[in-house]
Amino acid sequence: MKKYLFILLITVAWVACVDYPIDEDGLLITERGECYVGSFELLGSDQKTVLNQVAVDTVAQTIDAEVHYGTDLKNLYPQFSLVTDAKLDPKITGKVDFSDLDNPKKYTVVSGNRKVRKEYTIYITVQTR
Amino acid sequence: MQIKHYYIILSIACFGIIFASCDDNAYTIPDGAKELTNDCLKRSLGPNMVGGSIDFAYAMALPFNTGNLVSAKVEASIAGASGTYLENHSYHTGSGGENVGIEIGSPSVTDGIATEVVFTRDTCASTLRYYYIVPEEARGKQVSFKFSASDSNGKQVSYDMGPYNISEMDMKLDMALTNNSYFSISDMAVYNATQAAENPDKIDLVYLFRTMRGVTFRHAFVSPTAENADYLPNLTLPAGVGNSTKFMKVYASADQQLARNEFGVFVDDLDLREINLSNAPDYGINIAQNAGAWLETADGKYRAYIYVNKASETVGGMTISIKRLKIK
Repeated sequence: MKKYLFILLITVAWVACVDYPIDEDGLLITERGECYVGSFELLGSDQKTVLNQVAVDTVAQTIDAEVHYGTDLKNLYPQFSLVTDAKLDPKITGKVDFSDLDNPKKYTVVSGNRKVRKEYTIYITVQTR
Repeated sequence: MQIKHYYIILSIACFGIIFASCDDNAYTIPDGAKELTNDCLKRSLGPNMVGGSIDFAYAMALPFNTGNLVSAKVEASIAGASGTYLENHSYHTGSGGENVGIEIGSPSVTDGIATEVVFTRDTCASTLRYYYIVPEEARGKQVSFKFSASDSNGKQVSYDMGPYNISEMDMKLDMALTNNSYFSISDMAVYNATQAAENPDKIDLVYLFRTMRGVTFRHAFVSPTAENADYLPNLTLPAGVGNSTKFMKVYASADQQLARNEFGVFVDDLDLREINLSNAPDYGINIAQNAGAWLETADGKYRAYIYVNKASETVGGMTISIKRLKIK
């Protein structure tokens, strides 16, 4: 009986001591090397979508988004869906100004193991009438 | 020997628990009040607007067969505007959940800061509602209230409420806009093209409704500037108009006082004072019913919040309500 208790104690202690690494944001670094954007959304100041159509190209690492006619490009909330465990750089902390169409915004996806980085460029066009 | 000890200890513990649970600590009904007492609660919520009402329910009672209520009075620190009154009905809830009022006295009489009801019905308990209409002179100040009641034994009780801050905002409900009309924030008014030409400096936004092939436009507010010509199709602006008014569509901010079908959400002075609209556009298109928007006049003198009470998806015309604050 004492022998089994001792084995259990050792096992618990060993598990407790395993060091799971975290990154500078306090996020778990995993073994996943996948690195891509699954989907993309743009919301206006009223939190409603402004997208007319969007295409995410994971090979060319581009996002082509057409927004509704009359969209205010200075106050948009971008939303990315990333592959499991990946993160985005820079972080999105609020409204983003997309009005400088000649200099499209770029976001980098970082894989779960933090070893793969892929930069996506967002090309915005405004629907015309 | 050890097992025997366990049984003894277990038996003592069981007896202890049984003894404790059988302790007779019977509940006794607390003694009620022996004389006239009163209580009060504020019924209305949200910012206290000039011209609006602050509502209270004032309850007073004395034990049965010890006398009856004689009068109830409210004194406000600033005299209420016309329409201020204390109910002369005491309400209870009917079987259908409706308010059932029973007349307990003559209609209230207001003399300066005091509003009083004299009881004519022999009753020992009553709850009267008080509606204080906020006067213009209270704008930006604080108002407090003293509720009091007296009974046939000569006993008097009172209850202080407040102070309550009175908003500096203006509010206007249910303004009807027709297609191609002109909206003034400073006047909180809607003008037609002729009137807009007479007051071009007061015109902040053009309201228009358009249906276009391939794009969603519908209801729109657009500043009457040359840069916005694309958003003002088939419209010739009156001479002189040209204010660029900040217009920021906003999500889920329906104000209860403007919408009157939402609960617990209010736009108050602080919201309008602190919101930063420096990066906002000067137009908004595809605006639907129940939407809201923050506004700021071109000269920065006024900020406002508008709520769309009514807007069809297929027909022009809109009903809006507004809260406005003078900033400068």
